[in-house]
Amino acid sequence: MELISSFVACGKSGTGDESKETTGSATTEDKNQETTDGKVEDTSGDKEDVVIKVAAIETAYGAEMWTKVAEAFTAETGIIVELTTDKLLEDVIGAGMKAGDYPDVVHLATGRPAALTETLIKENALEDITDVLSMTVPGEDKLVKDKIAGGFTESTLTNPYNDGKTYMAPMFYSPCGLFFNKALLEEKGWSVPTTWDEMWELGDKAKEEGIALFAYPTAGYFDAFFYALLYEVGGADFFHKATTYTEGIWDTPEAQQAFDIVAKLATYTEKSVPSNANNDNYLKNQQLILDNKAIFMPNGTWVIEEMADAPRAEGFEWGFTALPAVTTGGDSYSYTWFEQLWIPAAAENKDAAKQFVAYMYSDEAAAIFAESGAIQPITGFADTLEGDNKLFYSIYDNGAKAALGNFAATEPVEGVNFADTVFGTVNSLVSGDKTKEQWIEAIKKDSDLLRSALK
Amino acid sequence: MKNKGKSLFIFLCVSPAVILFTIFMIIPTINIFKMSLYKWGGYSPNKTFVGLDNFVTLAKDMKFLQSFQNTVLLIVVVSVVTIAFALVFAAILTRENIVGQNFFRVIFYIPNILSVVIISAIFSAIFDSSNGLINSILALIRGEGSEPIYWLGDQKIVIYSIAIAMIWQAIGYYMVMYMASMASVPESVYESAAIEGASRSRQFFSLTIPLIWSNIRTTLTFFIISSINLSFMIVKAMTSGGPDGSTEVFLSYMYKQAYTNSSYGYGMAIGVVIFIFSFALSGLVNLITKRETIEL
Repeated sequence: MELISSFVACGKSGTGDESKETTGSATTEDKNQETTDGKVEDTSGDKEDVVIKVAAIETAYGAEMWTKVAEAFTAETGIIVELTTDKLLEDVIGAGMKAGDYPDVVHLATGRPAALTETLIKENALEDITDVLSMTVPGEDKLVKDKIAGGFTESTLTNPYNDGKTYMAPMFYSPCGLFFNKALLEEKGWSVPTTWDEMWELGDKAKEEGIALFAYPTAGYFDAFFYALLYEVGGADFFHKATTYTEGIWDTPEAQQAFDIVAKLATYTEKSVPSNANNDNYLKNQQLILDNKAIFMPNGTWVIEEMADAPRAEGFEWGFTALPAVTTGGDSYSYTWFEQLWIPAAAENKDAAKQFVAYMYSDEAAAIFAESGAIQPITGFADTLEGDNKLFYSIYDNGAKAALGNFAATEPVEGVNFADTVFGTVNSLVSGDKTKEQWIEAIKKDSDLLRSALK
Repeated sequence: MKNKGKSLFIFLCVSPAVILFTIFMIIPTINIFKMSLYKWGGYSPNKTFVGLDNFVTLAKDMKFLQSFQNTVLLIVVVSVVTIAFALVFAAILTRENIVGQNFFRVIFYIPNILSVVIISAIFSAIFDSSNGLINSILALIRGEGSEPIYWLGDQKIVIYSIAIAMIWQAIGYYMVMYMASMASVPESVYESAAIEGASRSRQFFSLTIPLIWSNIRTTLTFFIISSINLSFMIVKAMTSGGPDGSTEVFLSYMYKQAYTNSSYGYGMAIGVVIFIFSFALSGLVNLITKRETIEL
């Protein structure tokens, strides 16, 4: 379903506010001035309307919030938004982009099969938006960088080239960790493991009752899991070295420990999981948790909505925990998954587009997104949440540390898909088709190839 | 003068098709060959000419070789099994008098009008490890509580599970094609064969098959093309190439490289290999199945 709608603020049907009507006609140069003081000033009304094309992926949060935010943005700044939302956004905007017709702002996260965002990163086709951080949020008097929560604009997910420049704006974050049925653990008198040793003990106990310790939707879900695990075994410095393919990093004891944990976990995984671990049948794997056939699965907060209508065991209640620590008293981590918003380098109205990016961090926009369950990474915003979301987003207040980042971007290396090598192979570990040693060997080989292609 | 007018008329009639064919088939094909010589992500204007580098990498790419192997396996298994079933069913439905002949004809043809996504969903349900049709029946024989067979999870059998779905889908279509040509074999031939004492199976191998041979040859080319195309759709909708790349086929691997891995040029190199491979294989099959046409 494709939805394209335009919002015109300067018509009679607009906001009805005189000053805003005239600002609707501000030109791009005027917008430059606005960025310095953050206020929208009245300008002469005879100039042309600024129209920006915004393209946003429609995910579990729905498309309606984008319509509302675009309306609110136009009301605030007078910049007209031509909005495109679609579940398969790449198919809608991809062909146009190949022909040179670029949207001004795109909300599309990395990690999708069509990998449009990754392709543009690899091709240096994103606009540097570091200056947006020092812009004032439209309608407020705070700077963007003061509103974005700490750490979000320092990871490789926003600064893909590790050069201190931000190319992607962080959006909609979600803590990832292990989801389970709280009621099942209570009924059996089991406690949530805090270390991996306790995890294995629980696994053995559960096995006797015919319950598997672990299941995963698709092997791709190991990304958040594995990143958090890398933080646990070696801390931030090790994580950075591992994700930039540092030579010899996979031979270190820390890496071995991470491999050992994943390989051991594979033996505790429900046997039918690899059969359904693909984009079409992964819900069956998630259903294993609801049916009490497996205890833990790595996932993000969206799973609650995704499984809302699924049948479940009696008394089922979602529980959520960070990864168990490697040693008693060690750090436990929860990966923070977030989406990205970016401006293509070939966009026409970059200044107006940057305004739009800055507006994403306004309280007004954040409130609209939050109505649909999408939480903006704004300092202090999680405190205002209620219900299930409060439980999930307070994980970082309850002792878990936030893990951020991903494998660094490289020039494309033909035939090497590192996510498949690292995460996809987990299917073979579970089915027994590959050994841990084969897995590590493949990771090392691909890591060597990617190192020389680093940006 | 009259001849010239006729030539002009033919030229005018043929030119729209030729122009369209050139624009939509020949030029894109040439473009693919050209792009396979570049390192290019697909979006930016930065294309780097790398000569035959993509093909050299391809020859060493184990995942590509695995997808090649899977595709060849599917072409062979699907073609052989489908031909055998389709021919037998077609012979039974044309030659024998059985109740509900037309009904069976329709039933066999139904899979062909279903969309591939639906077929994939049906077979995902049939192959389901816990409550799928096959495992439920097997549980009756092997006893409750025995380890189920992971049709889509066991990497040694998953490619055959894909083949089963493709065969089920294809039988009806080819059966109808063979039935059409079998119907044109005159009844008198069979009558005289029967008088000479030829059995039913002898009639099938010595009369039916030689007489519809040209039809079978044509369908062989169809098998090659449709196996390559259909396997992509079924794999996409049933296993996404998994588990761990064990059902990756030509086109799904090409898609993965061209888009997910941002290596458009490399993807096009795979496209070139597929193009040449399917042409060569069709040519070869055509050559070795060449027989004197038998006319009555």
